[in-house]
Amino acid sequence: MSFGRPLLRTSYEADAAILPTWFQKGSAIVALLGVTLMALGFGPLEAIPKFLLGNTWINPVTITVVFAIAALGINILVGVTGQVSLGHAFFMGTGAYTAVMLGGNVGEEESWKACVPFHDNMGLLAEQGECGLGLPIWIWLPASGVVAAAIGVLVSPAAVKVRGLYLAIVTVGLVFIGLHLGRMLPEWAGDFESGRKWPKLDLRLWKEETPLVEMTEDGKWFGLIHLSEEQKQFFFLFSIMLLMLWFAKNLVRSRTGRALQAIRDRDVAAEVMGVPEFKYKRIGFAISSAYAGIAGALFASLNGRVSPVDFGLLLSVDFIAILLIGGAGTIAGTMLGTVFVELLPEVVEKFTAWMATKLDAGGPVGLISNFLLTEGGEGDFGPISIATVAPGWPMSTFQWNFVIYGVLIVVFLIFEPLGLFGVWLKVRNYWKGWPFSY
Amino acid sequence: MAVVTEPNHAPDVGAGYPTVASRAREWAASKPAQLAMREKDFGIWREYTWGRTWDLVLDAAHGLLALGVDVGDRVTVHSEDRPEWVIMDLATVAVRGVTVGLYPTNPSAEVEYTLNDCTPKVHLAEDQEQVDKVLDLPSDSFPSVDKVIFVEPRGVRKYDDDRLLFWDDFLALGREHKAANPGAVEALMAAADADDVMTLVYTSGTTGPPKGAMITNANCEFGIQTTVDTPERMPGGKLPGPEDQVLTYLPLCHIAERIFSTWHLVGRGVVLNFAESVEAVNANLREIQPTLFFAVPRIWEKLMAAVIIRGNSSSRFKKLWLNMTMKWAGWIGRQRVANNGDWTPLTRVVYGVGWLIVFRALRERLGMRRVRWAGTGAAPIAPEVLEFFLGIGLNVYELYGMTENTAIATANFHGRVKVGTVGEPYPQIKDGFRIDDETGEIQCKHGGVFVGYWGKPEKTAETFTEDGWLMTGDVGEWVDGTHVKIVDRIKHIIITAGGKNISPSEIENTLKTSPFINEAMVIGDRRKYLTALINIELDTVGDWALRRNLPYTTYKDLTEKSEVMELISAEVDKCNEKFARVEGIKKFRLIPKELDHEDGELTATQKLKRSSVEDAFSEMIEEMYS
Repeated sequence: MSFGRPLLRTSYEADAAILPTWFQKGSAIVALLGVTLMALGFGPLEAIPKFLLGNTWINPVTITVVFAIAALGINILVGVTGQVSLGHAFFMGTGAYTAVMLGGNVGEEESWKACVPFHDNMGLLAEQGECGLGLPIWIWLPASGVVAAAIGVLVSPAAVKVRGLYLAIVTVGLVFIGLHLGRMLPEWAGDFESGRKWPKLDLRLWKEETPLVEMTEDGKWFGLIHLSEEQKQFFFLFSIMLLMLWFAKNLVRSRTGRALQAIRDRDVAAEVMGVPEFKYKRIGFAISSAYAGIAGALFASLNGRVSPVDFGLLLSVDFIAILLIGGAGTIAGTMLGTVFVELLPEVVEKFTAWMATKLDAGGPVGLISNFLLTEGGEGDFGPISIATVAPGWPMSTFQWNFVIYGVLIVVFLIFEPLGLFGVWLKVRNYWKGWPFSY
Repeated sequence: MAVVTEPNHAPDVGAGYPTVASRAREWAASKPAQLAMREKDFGIWREYTWGRTWDLVLDAAHGLLALGVDVGDRVTVHSEDRPEWVIMDLATVAVRGVTVGLYPTNPSAEVEYTLNDCTPKVHLAEDQEQVDKVLDLPSDSFPSVDKVIFVEPRGVRKYDDDRLLFWDDFLALGREHKAANPGAVEALMAAADADDVMTLVYTSGTTGPPKGAMITNANCEFGIQTTVDTPERMPGGKLPGPEDQVLTYLPLCHIAERIFSTWHLVGRGVVLNFAESVEAVNANLREIQPTLFFAVPRIWEKLMAAVIIRGNSSSRFKKLWLNMTMKWAGWIGRQRVANNGDWTPLTRVVYGVGWLIVFRALRERLGMRRVRWAGTGAAPIAPEVLEFFLGIGLNVYELYGMTENTAIATANFHGRVKVGTVGEPYPQIKDGFRIDDETGEIQCKHGGVFVGYWGKPEKTAETFTEDGWLMTGDVGEWVDGTHVKIVDRIKHIIITAGGKNISPSEIENTLKTSPFINEAMVIGDRRKYLTALINIELDTVGDWALRRNLPYTTYKDLTEKSEVMELISAEVDKCNEKFARVEGIKKFRLIPKELDHEDGELTATQKLKRSSVEDAFSEMIEEMYS
């Protein structure tokens, strides 16, 4: 690598490098350092997420990190392999329930209530709940990926038989099968309101009392640094996400990745050129499902109150929104899309709440707040309702978010099919050609 | 990077006279892991260290011995620039042979002429195209050629001809020979003599058939010491070195590229980067970002035109910035021209601001970001072009020389540049350089002057004066007593019917500064007034026509448009303003085709063959005088 000559490539390794220039390497390090400092609560840096998301910003950000893992998975299937799937939520659910079977609390004769709580007083569970095996995370987390991948492989033949929209419909079927199973097996799924107890993120060697690395209590880590529970979880999940990101990035520049892209661009042509279609569609489904499974397990474990309905169609659609808004087929676009789709509602919510406090403030801010918000009183107008949710006009921020996504997907599909990543590309290319246009 | 663990220790038989080969061996012995060359292959710049390069040279040299190449035998190389060119060249000199380069664009007939003129034993043809040029001719038309070595096997493998030999097999042959006769090459190198002819450089032949100028080891040694090792010519007096990058893209058979590439490689250890092809030069420049860059005026003009065309088609906002900074560049250029090519404090400040907003990016796009020394030569360049590149911050120096004096004559030295002149004679040849009082011809007598034309003693004799000075055929004049200005070739000087002496190339070069004019030929010898044949530049005029919604089909069609005539007419008027009335062009015609080497209108170096053009378009010329 020759410093200052970024285009001079003397090996294929350098040519295909993830971060080909020193500038990009440096930027990546600075960005990682920035995120770390932010999470550690370094004042000036933490001010940014605090302003946008409030003091508890680390919670939505951690959830976003988990969603990013799942989004990387759907990108491999939909963006890279070109197989439209709405079954991603089902695979996430598969991962979550695999995790709970292996890693959930160990149940004695009568203590199963600790595993599937709340059933008694709600009268939903006639039979005994089932407990897990209490295995450590290094078993249940990979296992959730493997099991999801196996189911993905079982489903993949459908992708060879049907294409495009039809495949989407087939995979929607998976989601409903999942929901149905959840209803049929309450001793595993828990009730639809609050689900069941999920395994914790604590790192254990085996089933010992005190975990090797504590994840769910505030405290010192490795006797070095005092962190809150949220910070610990953030760092742990962020590391997993980086690992998965690295793997996904390497996948797309490997032989397998090129085969997947060939199938996306035209499966018949790919087959003619010696890329076995079925094999690679199977691989695409397997890898994508594995990502989903791992993300599902982490999501349930992190959230705590997750039930089968959470792995419904809306979750799958969320991921399609992430891909279309971010930029299908690109890793950077996937990450951008996740951040955008997962964090924007939080920002909108926080902003609305802030405006609500300014309703009576007068001045331009009060005027705009009055114009936009409505408390539901007589003569009060404005599109956004801050009163209790009722269907119809005016809508709550929650409902507005759906509208915003719908509009955004339409707009991006028509004007910028490459999503936010395409916008970035346009900006970059503009400056890349400076002072020429081509 | 392959590090050679066992350097090729030659049997101690003495060094012999220094040659390009022995210099290469020294680099390989002292810095085997240092980079010598890069070649782009399948999208990747493959690197050759000195150790590996010398290994290959040695294999090739033994291969030549195995093929029976004897002292003084010729080896022809017919290839685009690539490492094998340099390797073959060094190997040939190592076994005391004579390298002869052919232009890759040479058509069959010229290849036949050259092969018959220099009668080589071994011929290296790059690929199927060049192999065909040889094999298509009857096999008895050049009986001297024993072997035709080809480097690119594609398409050639199927050929059934005993003379064909694949490069890898040739090297294998060399390795066998090396094992059987260790030290054979070293012994020949030790016997190398100063008077050994190392290469024949065929002159482009604007007037007659090409002649092979014999350059000896002594010429080469003098050349390296004079042109390469003169620190005054470089900014900051910093000589070229291993950290310098060179893009090798002009034909290596021409003396200019040979000096600039091969001799700089073995003399100073600069890294050669071989361009993929002429078409890829722009892209390769951007990748390599060379620190030393040599181009002929045609390339500089194209680069300048590219900036103008691409600038014109930029978006509005970008154009705004570009136009503003180009005005600054014009001012900087004029200031630097006035200041002997050097910076003034104020130009530095203006340039610094411009660097931040446009110049840095612009130079990066052109592949000139890191150029610290740029040269132009081999043909006259218009001062406007030099001014432009000085303005965007390049240090461009015009050089002058010719094949027959190993290109050692004059150069513009850093800080002493006079734009419009070709600079001062090198300090080493102060006493060997003169301008004849009577004819104004430049004459040379120094260590770089060649020993004669191959097989043409009568032509050789014609080139020297009675007291042994080389007659360059160029008319020059002193500027301020130190610098030399080239007026024209003696043969080209026009004497009008009114008895006035006029230098057509000055007018032609001014015409050629117009981005719309590719080539121009001024006519008027023994005529009442001057006229010109003009070759328009397809890219720019085509672009101009598109912008005006002027539809056209072919080049010929474009030249016949009255709008284009008007456009060129305006350019000619602009040119006429700069000259005296007798030097004005009264009439002109547009040549309806692009001038071409294949059709014999241009030489391999894109120089105009005046007589051929005059013959081909005589009707047009007569029309202008009737």
